[in-house]
Amino acid sequence: MDEFKITFFPEHKSVSVDRGTDLLTAALKTGVHIYNSCGGEGVCGRCKVIVKKGDYITEGSGRVSDAERNEGYVLACRTSPGSDMEVFVPEESRLGDLEILTEEIKAKRLAGLYTPVEEIEEEHYKVTSKIFKHGPLSTKIFLKLPNPTIDDNSGDADRLLREIKKHHKEINTIQMGLSNIKRLPRLLRESNWEVTVTLGNRNRTTEVVLIEPGDRSKENFGVAVDVGTTTIVAYLVDLNSQKVLGSKASYNPQVDFGEDVISRIIFAQHEKGLEKLHHAVIDTINTLIDNLIKEASLTLDDVTAVVSAGNTTMTHLLLKIDPANIRKDPYIPAVNFMPVIRASEAGIKINPRGLLMCLPCIGSYVGGDIIAGVLASGMDKTRDLSLFIDLGTNGEVALGNKEWLMSCSTSAGPCFEGGGLKCGVRAMKGAIQNISIKNNSLEIQTIGNLPPKGICGSGIVDIVSELLKNKIIDRSGKIKDNKICQVRDCDGIKELVLVVAEDSATGKDITIDENDIKNLIHSKGAIYTGIEVLLKESGFEKSDIKHVFIAGGLGTALNIRSAINIGLLPDLPEKSFAFLGNTSVAGAKMCLLSYEATDKADVIANKMTYLDLSTNALFMNNYSAALFLPHTDIELFPSVKKLLS
Amino acid sequence: MERLIEKWQDKISEVTLGAKKIIKIGGETGIYFIEGEDKCPNPPRVAMEVWDMEPESWPEVLKSSFGKALKDPGDWAKMCVDKFLADLICLRLASTHPDSKNTSGEEAGKVLEKVMKAISVPLIVIGSSAPEKDNEVMAYCANIAKGQNCLFGIATQANYKTLTAACLSAGHAIISEAPIDINIAKQLNILICDMQFPADKIVIHHATGALGYGLEYTYSIMERTRLAGLSGDKMLSMPMISFAGQESWRTKEAKTGCMDTGILWEIATGSAYLNSGVDILVMNHPKAVEEIKKAINNFTSRGA
Repeated sequence: MDEFKITFFPEHKSVSVDRGTDLLTAALKTGVHIYNSCGGEGVCGRCKVIVKKGDYITEGSGRVSDAERNEGYVLACRTSPGSDMEVFVPEESRLGDLEILTEEIKAKRLAGLYTPVEEIEEEHYKVTSKIFKHGPLSTKIFLKLPNPTIDDNSGDADRLLREIKKHHKEINTIQMGLSNIKRLPRLLRESNWEVTVTLGNRNRTTEVVLIEPGDRSKENFGVAVDVGTTTIVAYLVDLNSQKVLGSKASYNPQVDFGEDVISRIIFAQHEKGLEKLHHAVIDTINTLIDNLIKEASLTLDDVTAVVSAGNTTMTHLLLKIDPANIRKDPYIPAVNFMPVIRASEAGIKINPRGLLMCLPCIGSYVGGDIIAGVLASGMDKTRDLSLFIDLGTNGEVALGNKEWLMSCSTSAGPCFEGGGLKCGVRAMKGAIQNISIKNNSLEIQTIGNLPPKGICGSGIVDIVSELLKNKIIDRSGKIKDNKICQVRDCDGIKELVLVVAEDSATGKDITIDENDIKNLIHSKGAIYTGIEVLLKESGFEKSDIKHVFIAGGLGTALNIRSAINIGLLPDLPEKSFAFLGNTSVAGAKMCLLSYEATDKADVIANKMTYLDLSTNALFMNNYSAALFLPHTDIELFPSVKKLLS
Repeated sequence: MERLIEKWQDKISEVTLGAKKIIKIGGETGIYFIEGEDKCPNPPRVAMEVWDMEPESWPEVLKSSFGKALKDPGDWAKMCVDKFLADLICLRLASTHPDSKNTSGEEAGKVLEKVMKAISVPLIVIGSSAPEKDNEVMAYCANIAKGQNCLFGIATQANYKTLTAACLSAGHAIISEAPIDINIAKQLNILICDMQFPADKIVIHHATGALGYGLEYTYSIMERTRLAGLSGDKMLSMPMISFAGQESWRTKEAKTGCMDTGILWEIATGSAYLNSGVDILVMNHPKAVEEIKKAINNFTSRGA
């Protein structure tokens, strides 16, 4: 078979591939990450590259304009080589820095993903008075065993267990594996009967996980991980002092295989698909943990426990379980309540005998990230009716109080994370996150105050709200002629120029077109209708809601007023809204530190009613009413009605 | 047994059509034909369809009722009013469609003038459902009929601005159409009103399904619209129109069945919509018109 050498610029990285291999796959092999939302189906048009040299075969696509085609632009996923090639990957087609520097982001108020835990918990304390009792997933205890004598003649292992029980009366059953027992006689005698035992809390029984010589009880650390569809976040936690020693975030490289969970489940069915997805997430987690322990000057062996929170599909992929049935009627996952296992079984590199716990899931489309969110918000502890909204790709919504909990997944789409937009980017440096229109001119604010690269989720919410307020778009999202923003026609679709090419970081105009606005309207409509359906099904009114907790990638950068203006959030007093940032990792950390929190997570998962919106007639009907700005029924948004009149 | 009589808080807006002979539609404060509730000042009206060209697609049984008049829109319209007692005439500018004769706005305007001269009842004017061509033709025709207070159509969510502006400046009423979706109907009405168009000059069309071809769907959407309007939703409290004739005569049964099948189909479809709260029925066959008018008389004179 013919082999061709493809070189990617500006990295100057080359790879040899067979005839018929598309450029997207080729780029991946060299480690060049090209943006694509559709999983290489030729639909999203995000993976544009410029062919500098060489013959190629490309399928026609409406996503590449004539002007671009003349410049050599092709869709990487639809193009395969006909000879050796040189390909340039332009700035706007890149995934961006793979790792986000926590310090910098912190400074930019991107609390959604990156706030230190302390900040999250400040909010958390407002609604919860009781903190969970300290009792981590793995505990280290130092024991000085009495030397055996002819009178005290119990066996080595029996002696160890006897002493553990003597000091920890609350432990009823205790388990120890053969490998530990085998090592015991020598280890005890060489360490002069002074050892540190790591006790793991495994599914309500206690296990002797690890025995080390001497006193190592101070070196006990764990990692809390949020395995998001888009982003992976890890916290390194001192299990004794309960302090967070560091946090790291990275994009989920599974994005290379598809932007949403459905396209990834489909990808998992390809040859070696599941393996690729699994390794993508595991490699990232291992890198994050590696960097965290290096910064804290620890060794991998000091980390004895990992707790992860992710949606059901992400949890399956983390554990390399085939998620195929999640998307097939009647939508049954392989596991909801995952028992605690060894982290090494899943491929996570910590202490080889360390434990991995995954937060329980509720159903195919409501997962452990929501359990973590409810746990972190404390909404299950008060009598007040609270609403929890995760503004992520799956757009989960939960409603309830200490008596009951109900949740649904609204499939909002990647819009809030900058996906599916013509000039959309994730919340990265240079992303437009706020705009305002004053004196007929547009003021733009980007993350890091850098030249604009594109529009992120909070940016699009703000932009559409401002456009609506200034009557540049009508209530159906159609662009009108106006004096503030240049309107032009692009392949029959109207678009507004927000930033001209010379002011942008990409060297191209940054625009928003009617399809982008339509995408946002569909996303916000889905979330709002999810809220409406939960209220209706539980027999409550909007006005009964006392607290609204917002979690997810756009967290504190989201302008609440704008979100109400476009009909994403219900029209409630602004003081009812609270940002919790990344509640998924916060909840995972709580479970890492306390068995009480873990028990609570199980209680929440068992208590929560899952409402399947795909079969809900009310949802479909109300959804089309929500596809308007702010809503077909403006009486639902009295403050917006006042603003627009 | 005691009967429950519903009291509604609001009323349907009243739309006045025509200049020479004036007709009012809408104004209901209850549901048609429910004794005790049906406070309906204006009975439902029947319009008959007239084309600007001989309708080749019509089956013979339908064409034969009009004879030679089909060749002259003026004669045809006059026949419908004088002989078949149509309350309104609905002029369909079918020949303007690019796939048909692609006649110009000026030519359509001439036909319109001819029809206006021939009759004194109010006029409904609709295009050929080719959005871009309609914008050109309807804007021109609206101006020709300025001051005649006609009902122009059809505005859709994708194409409403030109027609709305034309009707606004020439003082006509407008048909706003949504594809059997109550929310889109409401959204379109909001968008039209946002252009400063008066709400009491809008007539709603929910698309029409003939018997066996989606009638139940349209029926329930129309009923829901009426209930919403009576319950105080100002953006749904407009009178409604239904093209019962056109849809019935498109069915396979009407085209291929024996003589009466099409007529019965049209009667069945039309009378169902009468009960859903329709205010104007646009119909085709004179026999069906006669039966429907009889039914309206029976319903409205009962108990009065």
